[in-house]
Amino acid sequence: MAATLRACLVALLVAAAPCFAAGPEANRYSAAVATEWFRVVLPAIQQTPGQSPPVAARTLAYLGLGLHEAIVAGIPQERSLAGQLVELESLPPAQPDDTLHWPTVANATLAALTAMLLPNAPADWKARFETLERSMPVLQPQDFDPAQRTPEVIVRSETHGRLLAMALMTWARTDGGHDVLGARRQRLDANYVAPSGPGAWVPTPPRFARPLLPHWGANRPFLATLERCRIPGPPRYDEQPGSAFHREAAEVLRVGTRPSEEERRIALYWADDPGKTPTPAGHWNWILTDLLRERRADLASAARQYAQLGIAMSDAFVATWKIKFELNLLRPVTYIQLTLDANWVPPTMETPPFPEYPSGHSVQSGAAAEVLERFYGRDTAFEDRFHNDRGWGPQRFTSFAAAAQQAAVSRLYAGIHFRSAIEHGSTLGRCIGAQALALQTR
Amino acid sequence: MRRLAVAGLASALAGSLAAAPALPHFVDETDAAGLQSRFDGDWEYMVGGGVAALDCDGSGLPSLFIAGGANRSKFYRNRSARGGALRLVAERSGLELTSTLGAYPVDLDGDGQLDLVVLRVGETVLMRGLGDCRFERANERWAFQGGNEWTTAFSAAWLDGDARPTLAFGTYIDRGRQEFPWGSCTDNVLVRPARGTDGALRFEPPQPLRPGFCALGMLFSDWNRSGRPALRITNDREYYKGGQEQLWRIAADAEPRLYGPADGWRPLQVWGMGIASTPLDDSPYPAYFLTSMADNKLQALAGDATKPAYQDIAFARGVTAHRPYAGGDVHPSTAWHAQFADVNNDGRPDLFVVKGNIGQMPDFAMLDPSNLLLGTPEGRFVEAGDAAGLRNYQRGRGGLLVDLNGDGLLDAIIVNRWDRARLWRNVGAGTAQAPAPMGHWLAVQLRQGGGNRHAVGAWLEVEAQGRVQQIEQVVGGGHASGTLGTLHVGLGDAAKARLRVRWPGNRWGSDEGVGPWFEVDADRMVIVDREKGLVPWPQP
Repeated sequence: MAATLRACLVALLVAAAPCFAAGPEANRYSAAVATEWFRVVLPAIQQTPGQSPPVAARTLAYLGLGLHEAIVAGIPQERSLAGQLVELESLPPAQPDDTLHWPTVANATLAALTAMLLPNAPADWKARFETLERSMPVLQPQDFDPAQRTPEVIVRSETHGRLLAMALMTWARTDGGHDVLGARRQRLDANYVAPSGPGAWVPTPPRFARPLLPHWGANRPFLATLERCRIPGPPRYDEQPGSAFHREAAEVLRVGTRPSEEERRIALYWADDPGKTPTPAGHWNWILTDLLRERRADLASAARQYAQLGIAMSDAFVATWKIKFELNLLRPVTYIQLTLDANWVPPTMETPPFPEYPSGHSVQSGAAAEVLERFYGRDTAFEDRFHNDRGWGPQRFTSFAAAAQQAAVSRLYAGIHFRSAIEHGSTLGRCIGAQALALQTR
Repeated sequence: MRRLAVAGLASALAGSLAAAPALPHFVDETDAAGLQSRFDGDWEYMVGGGVAALDCDGSGLPSLFIAGGANRSKFYRNRSARGGALRLVAERSGLELTSTLGAYPVDLDGDGQLDLVVLRVGETVLMRGLGDCRFERANERWAFQGGNEWTTAFSAAWLDGDARPTLAFGTYIDRGRQEFPWGSCTDNVLVRPARGTDGALRFEPPQPLRPGFCALGMLFSDWNRSGRPALRITNDREYYKGGQEQLWRIAADAEPRLYGPADGWRPLQVWGMGIASTPLDDSPYPAYFLTSMADNKLQALAGDATKPAYQDIAFARGVTAHRPYAGGDVHPSTAWHAQFADVNNDGRPDLFVVKGNIGQMPDFAMLDPSNLLLGTPEGRFVEAGDAAGLRNYQRGRGGLLVDLNGDGLLDAIIVNRWDRARLWRNVGAGTAQAPAPMGHWLAVQLRQGGGNRHAVGAWLEVEAQGRVQQIEQVVGGGHASGTLGTLHVGLGDAAKARLRVRWPGNRWGSDEGVGPWFEVDADRMVIVDREKGLVPWPQP
């Protein structure tokens, strides 16, 4: 250590260049501090008001990004994502003279971000957050060696972690997705008037709810390259039998009316409804968390994977919502009642309250599969335990692509999406995942 | 003379202990001097809290204007005895205004009387100096549109030889969008002098400097010594969307233009609160200290002055000041006003940083002592605030180092939010009962004819001890706090010095606009008049 410090000082005197007289690097620790936090945050998202699927994806993205940026200085040759993401030029660097304990930094960052991203979490969950932060050294003694954690190192590490979280949140608050339950946002959404006309989306039975987050597509994305991901539109709107549009509706009617037992199971398995589950982004983060635990990943790898998965899935929602509300395409139930069966409603599940094209689940799963394939390989089989508590799991998949494909087509089985929304949505998701992976972390 | 024990790692590495800077002593004279000001208020007063120092009665001693926030601002006439205890007398001067955040003295109309630009929550007010420390509102007289913004920063320059000033104002959050302030920064504005007004000062309507990123500090400064100052703005990342620090190229006859990556400008995002500048290491080009939350930045040119590419040298110089150095609070600091000045008269700039929690932010230090960082011969700075007796653990905001009693030692003022402003007398190497000088010094006032009476934009060069110090005459910077009148120069052991002025518009390397050298005895105030040369300060 003394030699390191001396070399550091020489470098500073000669070149005024920062260097680190640090303790062990972040990749010398396990991913446990990260996976423990995600295991708590995911069910908390389920029970926190306002954490609809797009919002939950955003929450998880900032947690993953925050984790990465908190410890980036502790990962050899790792590059910060600041400077690569839209309107995020920089984040506070770790002080060169601070020896930091990276699990402590990560713990502080994730605790601070969780509190700021879920400010309206139920009180019992807030108590769990605080307990988790305090008890992490006890829960993970292998990573929280008291010999490395002198009182001063703890203070410095927690300080850096919280400062990073604060800086990240100052950026997050301006992305357009913050404060979804605030009066300003509620006013904005309440004043939204959906365009009308042939093929236009209208509220759907049985609730005829107002559209969910109609301005979400205007949010600032993480990825500067998101616009590169484009897909063809749906078939031209046509009510004539035999038209491409009509044929897709007829397929929904046929499949959605009488799904097989397996198709119905798949539809429900991937529904990932808010309030009942941690939403689609939570589902894929759950899968990642299990993989990190099974493979005994290190903290640096976990940070990288949570960040890129989170960014891909959050931007997938932004891109999806942009297209949804620009095209404003009606849902199958509306079309089918108009042209095929005036009394039809999807028997498996309710149609979500927003325009149809493209399928959000398809974009989400496509993006997630693209990211996870990069980290774990295309042909990696895995076990999905997301629904174990409901008695629906574990579910084994032969690959991430197989899981993503099943998640996408589940929306056809459910009778709530046309096929082109699913296929094009998957393509869009793949593209967004690739853009997230194009971020330079090394 | 006591010297500060420097735990200088760099020096230790070199195998010898460097000469430690001499330690000045500050004595709290807030009560004794009669200073009774508070900066209060909630949301709209979380920033600001400035002080202005100006000689408005020809005494040679600066009087004080102190912003009050929700309280009325106050004016204190300086009745200190030369070399004696500080004494301030609150007087009605016309400056008793509501909703004030800070102020900067500047002679806007070139009549020889300093005026005061008062930043407010609401209309900005230009107060015209009438003499004998009386002021009157002059917005209408000068056709100045003061707006209705949350105005938090100011700087002024005389551009391209113009006889009248160009004013820049920084604004903060849209007052109509306080329910969701993030991403709600308002435009900064540039106010140019009107043409064709037969010499009478009139201003044009404000011109937006867009985008605005919640400015908390502004400074016209000649970063490349081109003879034309550029406008540096430090912005608060807490509230902007897609913002960064800014440098505007502003000329009298051209549209303002932001420096960008193509010009070499490197993006930087900080919780920008204040700006201080000084050349370092005998460089002719100023370095800029930017206050922030946690670590502060010291930006120096990364290469030559052909492009504004800056690198951060704060850590190397020991001025990150990112956490309290005393008091036991372990959280990150929040820094506001900053000022380079020589408090121990050793001929090297020291750095004064006023700190304080925004309000009740639990993740930031509540006990956040302001810094007094003394410059060392090696170019680093070492903390001396506590040892020097300059202890302020309140929520500091604005502040100033200024010689209030004419003894050649810079005294200190800090304006605190939700608390009293405080005042310290610098007694040098002595005590309150027996002040003692530290090094030699000069107090230099610049004068020239025309509208720019104080030669704003000029550079004073003082040669002593084999070194040439360079000080830029500016209006702006700090945090909502400023002074204009005399430039203080520490001379160390030199009982004599040579000085000259590079008058506004001089380009580095050119002799045009460079005045002659004058020899001068130390420990006095002098005037350098562009036409008359060296003029003794009139005795009061």
